[in-house]
Amino acid sequence: MIPAPSPGQGDDKIISVRNLRFTYEGGVVAITDLSIDIRKGDYVALVGGNGSGKTTFAKNLNGLLRPSSGIVTIRGRDAARTAVPELAKIVGYAFQNPDYQLFCATVEEEVRFGPLNLGYSEDDIRRKVERALDAMNLQHLRDKPPLSLRLGERRRVSIASVIAMDPDIFILDEPTTGLDTEESDMLMQKLQNLNVEGKTIILITHDMRLVSEHAKRVVVMSVGRIILDSDPRGAFSDLEILRRSNLEPPAVTKLAHALKDKGIPADVISPQELVFHLLRGGESR
Amino acid sequence: MKALELKDVRFKYRGSDNWALDSVSLVVEKGEFITVLGCNGSGKSTICLLANGLVPHAIQGDFEGSVEIFEKPVMGRTVAEIATKVGIVFQEPESQLFCMSVEEEVAFGPENLAVPRHEIRERVEWALELVGMKGYNDRSPFSLSGGQKQRVAIAASLSMHPDMLVLDEPAYALDPIGRHDLYSVLRELKGKHGMTVILAERDAEEAAAFSDRIVIMNKGKVVDVGPPRDTLRNPDKLKRMGIQPPQLSEVASLLNARLSTSKYSFLTVDEAESTITREIIGRGGVVRK
Amino acid sequence: MTGFVDLYTEGNTFLHRVDPRVKITAVILLSILAFVLSSLEALAVLLAFIMVLVVLSRTPLAKTAFSFKFVFRLMLLIVILWPLFDRSGEPVIASFGPLVLTEPALLRGVTSATRIGCLATVWYILMFTTQQRDIVRALVKLGIRFDFGLTLAISLRFFPTFSATIGSIMDAQRARGLEFGKGGPLKRTRNYVAVLIPAIVSAMRTADGLSWALQSRAYGARLDRTYLRDFKMKWSDYLALAAVVLVLVLPLTAKYVFGMEL
Ligand SMILES: Nc1ncnc2c1ncn2[C@@H]1O[C@H](COP(=O)(O)OP(=O)(O)O)[C@@H](O)[C@H]1O
Ligand SMILES: Nc1ncnc2c1ncn2[C@@H]1O[C@H](COP(=O)(O)OP(=O)(O)O)[C@@H](O)[C@H]1O
Ligand SMILES: [Mg+2]
Ligand SMILES: [Mg+2]
Repeated sequence: MIPAPSPGQGDDKIISVRNLRFTYEGGVVAITDLSIDIRKGDYVALVGGNGSGKTTFAKNLNGLLRPSSGIVTIRGRDAARTAVPELAKIVGYAFQNPDYQLFCATVEEEVRFGPLNLGYSEDDIRRKVERALDAMNLQHLRDKPPLSLRLGERRRVSIASVIAMDPDIFILDEPTTGLDTEESDMLMQKLQNLNVEGKTIILITHDMRLVSEHAKRVVVMSVGRIILDSDPRGAFSDLEILRRSNLEPPAVTKLAHALKDKGIPADVISPQELVFHLLRGGESR
Repeated sequence: MKALELKDVRFKYRGSDNWALDSVSLVVEKGEFITVLGCNGSGKSTICLLANGLVPHAIQGDFEGSVEIFEKPVMGRTVAEIATKVGIVFQEPESQLFCMSVEEEVAFGPENLAVPRHEIRERVEWALELVGMKGYNDRSPFSLSGGQKQRVAIAASLSMHPDMLVLDEPAYALDPIGRHDLYSVLRELKGKHGMTVILAERDAEEAAAFSDRIVIMNKGKVVDVGPPRDTLRNPDKLKRMGIQPPQLSEVASLLNARLSTSKYSFLTVDEAESTITREIIGRGGVVRK
Repeated sequence: MTGFVDLYTEGNTFLHRVDPRVKITAVILLSILAFVLSSLEALAVLLAFIMVLVVLSRTPLAKTAFSFKFVFRLMLLIVILWPLFDRSGEPVIASFGPLVLTEPALLRGVTSATRIGCLATVWYILMFTTQQRDIVRALVKLGIRFDFGLTLAISLRFFPTFSATIGSIMDAQRARGLEFGKGGPLKRTRNYVAVLIPAIVSAMRTADGLSWALQSRAYGARLDRTYLRDFKMKWSDYLALAAVVLVLVLPLTAKYVFGMEL
């Protein structure tokens, strides 16, 4: 097993999970045995089919759920012994469905709600809200009622309301479901910016295209455990692993696999790349 | 026979400022599998709702033009009446299953149509088998996964023996495997049963392979109609309309550009593999290890 | 979550097999009996009889305990509160300043508690042994309008969905630093609003979708609707019904015809 984390040393390890197990009240074991370390500034894609335990894992990181056994350490603190609002300052979590949280009369109020709860000073709150509105490109919508906005915009409001709490870690639960390519690309760009600023990103998704384009590291979950932890390309070179976790590789990856014995690398993830490999021989001759 | 005919249809939802559909004309023939492709807000759902009469009967707004379902105008018919001809599956699995067991869910339609009991039993078993949910009769819909819910919703429509099935982004909330299983059902509906299908989708990666025609929508207008090979030929054009082009179309289009031809177009991985093996790798296009 | 409303446990006991209409009738008749009986002894016998039926239903102990917890709490509350309002009679058992506890009042409290116990637990026999859909179907067969039955069925069906939604909404707000049960009245009100509004929005969306789904499945297309599920009274069902009627009629006869103090 991985050695237990030692506090103090290796402080770039912002999340450390050891032998996490989580059982719901009805007896469903959603996380069987999960250990992982995540470094500050990492961009992790957490993938797996519906019901594989991604959301349950995320809720164990921000204290909404407490481990049945095992230890979750966030920035050196035992998550099980830290109050949810305290954790919320470190771990921000944007729910899959933005409509589960939007209730204010304006976007601005919605974004203020988090930092207000956390008891920051008025000046502080104002600064954080402005930054969050900027980060999600919402300035022009700040006086609009959130419920009147399109889905893509509502998602951005919900993420902005997390940014405003100024956490170091962002967990986003399937943030692009239902969005158009354009909206989804814009959102991913904004997340990329946060990552460049040094924030740690955990992106829960089953869109393998997003994974291939944005993540630095892919963690594949299946029935409550991690079955693969690698760089994005590694995740695509093993179709069996993806199938086992109810995921489908992008069509080009499938095509590349079909052409594997013709000399095409199996970890191709974009059409451009595939065509490059296909025509490379022809060009060089 | 025409399954659906829209003539110059315009529709504006009550309380909205712009036309959700603007001068849309479209004919769907019986037995056709049509995929309506477009980004969010392009008007796909409105087309679906027109195809079973919910627009304009149950959903209010300004309506112009004419809609005929199986060559009879929708005006003067109720949604319940049209339901015997057209089944519909909505985007959200959550609100379209309202019974306490899967079996009741599938029986609900035929019961309303006063189908005799023994025949309802047969229809329920037939429909559940078709969607791969045999044996789930007594399960509560609440306990099913999203993909299973959508397949039950399909069965609940099929048990009314409709002549046309309309599906509004049925894979919206599903994971890739749920999506895959759902598409297997659709493929079978087309292949084995020759069902007339209208499928609204935001990307055509799977549907391209077995759609007879694709209708591309943008801002409430139909901008292109035709076989997948024609309508999906130009990935850049699709992107400009906010539609994620199928990756195989992108591969084909890149090959066409680089090889100065226009002959490539791939709808399935198998097709792409064999063509590429034969025509590109066969000619030494790839560095061998 | 689901367990909260769905008390049904699969089984094949006599109570499971008997026609739901007979069970509903039985529950109603036993409830009437609980109202009519006035002596503690008679009510205690009735409660014991109900308990025997519960045991015969072979419902897992955990589920029984879970369901009865509320009933016993309620009974206890009645026993404690009754003498506070009812201070008549002699002899006085105890008194604390203005509060007096008299023997008749205590007796009346215990009697009422037992009656409430009967009224509450008798329904569990039905819930433990009958699927919700069969209860609804039986109600419709007994003459309740189909729309009412459907409304009831939909409410039961969506209860778990809706409670899951509320749970998610509360989680979503807690993740934004909201602490339920903390702060002054103003803050608490605001906390409720933060849950209530998303819940209403979600319920309204569901209701919209629901009405479309109902229409597009030909709801209301014909008046002579058929039903897949049906019950037929077997001889054993008639027998059970007869037994139930006797259980009501015998004590009533004893009480009103022969003047026994029951
Ligand atoms: N509130 C809950 N009560 C009981 N079981 C649950 C609850 N939430 C999730 N589960 C179960 O836990 C497992 C993991 O679910 P989840 O973490 O939501 O997966 P994912 O986010 O990967 O779809 C599933 O089997 C699911 O049914
Ligand atoms: N209930 C409604 N009220 C007002 N406007 C609506 C309603 N539903 C859809 N619209 C508008 O109609 C247009 C087309 O929507 P829709 O048919 O739902 O598109 P799609 O299904 O392609 O996303 C959009 O501009 C949308 O905002
Ligand atoms: Mg999830
Ligand atoms: Mg739509």
